[in-house]
Amino acid sequence: MKDVLTGKLVRLAAFDPEEMSKAFTRWNLNSEYQRLSNSDPTRMPSAKRNAKWMEDRVAELSPARYHFSIRTLAEDKLIGELGLDVVDWSGRDAFVGLGIGETEYWGKGYGTDVMNVLLRFAFTEINLRRVTLSVFEYNPRAIRSYEKAGFRHEGYLRNFLNRAGHRWNEIYMGILREEWMGLNTDTAG
Amino acid sequence: MKDLFRGELVRFTLEEPETAAKAELRWTHDTELHRLLDGDPAQLFSEKKIREWIEKQSADSSMPERYSFSVRTLAEDQYIGFLGLWVDLIHSEAWVGLGIGEREFWSKGYGTDMMKLCLQYVFTELCLERLSLGVHAYNPRAIRSYEKCGFRLEGRTRGDVLREGRRTDSLWMGILRAEWMQMQNGDRT
Repeated sequence: MKDVLTGKLVRLAAFDPEEMSKAFTRWNLNSEYQRLSNSDPTRMPSAKRNAKWMEDRVAELSPARYHFSIRTLAEDKLIGELGLDVVDWSGRDAFVGLGIGETEYWGKGYGTDVMNVLLRFAFTEINLRRVTLSVFEYNPRAIRSYEKAGFRHEGYLRNFLNRAGHRWNEIYMGILREEWMGLNTDTAG
Repeated sequence: MKDLFRGELVRFTLEEPETAAKAELRWTHDTELHRLLDGDPAQLFSEKKIREWIEKQSADSSMPERYSFSVRTLAEDQYIGFLGLWVDLIHSEAWVGLGIGEREFWSKGYGTDMMKLCLQYVFTELCLERLSLGVHAYNPRAIRSYEKCGFRLEGRTRGDVLREGRRTDSLWMGILRAEWMQMQNGDRT
């Protein structure tokens, strides 16, 4: 069987709160990263504060929650983070969120590779039926990456965000197990 | 839609820990019941201890892996037994255990009715793919009841139980979603 956590450019690795909180704190000094990754006002929580909530999150062992760090295969460098939360077991749907914090890895296919690995994990390891995500309208790079991985546009919250003097939609995208199987007949096992 | 907690003879309900502890305390004094249910030596516990277990169980009652019900008759509204499910979320399957503490309700179809209600819950509400159970070979009444509900004998652990100087087998039974659906004869649930 394939190594389910390794892709072509990256692998999903353990989420170590100490290492991750330092990197995450540094990534968030970049307000653009924050604005792409969440809707809260950009701010700068301390590494200690970030370590605390990360430790709380990983302390709970649950079949519904998966946290990974993202490392490059070439340099074994920590470049991002990823979380998968199963939101509904009878529908077997999960919500995914990922971020590449190291900006020199933007726009080079790393995010798409992460998503491909994540989808294989979600559909062949957790045996989910669908995966959902949301993305902001002003993040076309991410939207294109998700489309490449097989996500379809399913809906949007109109004028959800108010940023840089504009109101923007929050877009919801999803992919079904059958759709992913159709795209990945060679890796489905 | 159907009332998922109401069968033909019984209904699923939730007893207060005090009520449940008093009933279960009484039921633990029935060693035949104990030997039908379990492989452990029959033991007696204080009402306080039993109540602590029940309270622990109710603390778990929001977990997607754990479901437990008290059972009452429809005719007399009498509290007669219990049924619990242990779900494996990743593989979409569960184990069931049930018992009727009040002996005058043995052999009258109450257990079968409980199991039918359970199967409907497992396949139409939890949307699982299979349900498993274990039963002692010396409990033919239970085995017949499970067969009536559609369970098939899948395996046997030979001689793993020593009771009254004789080694007896544990039987493993299971039912698949597709088998159960077929038994519903187009009766949409």
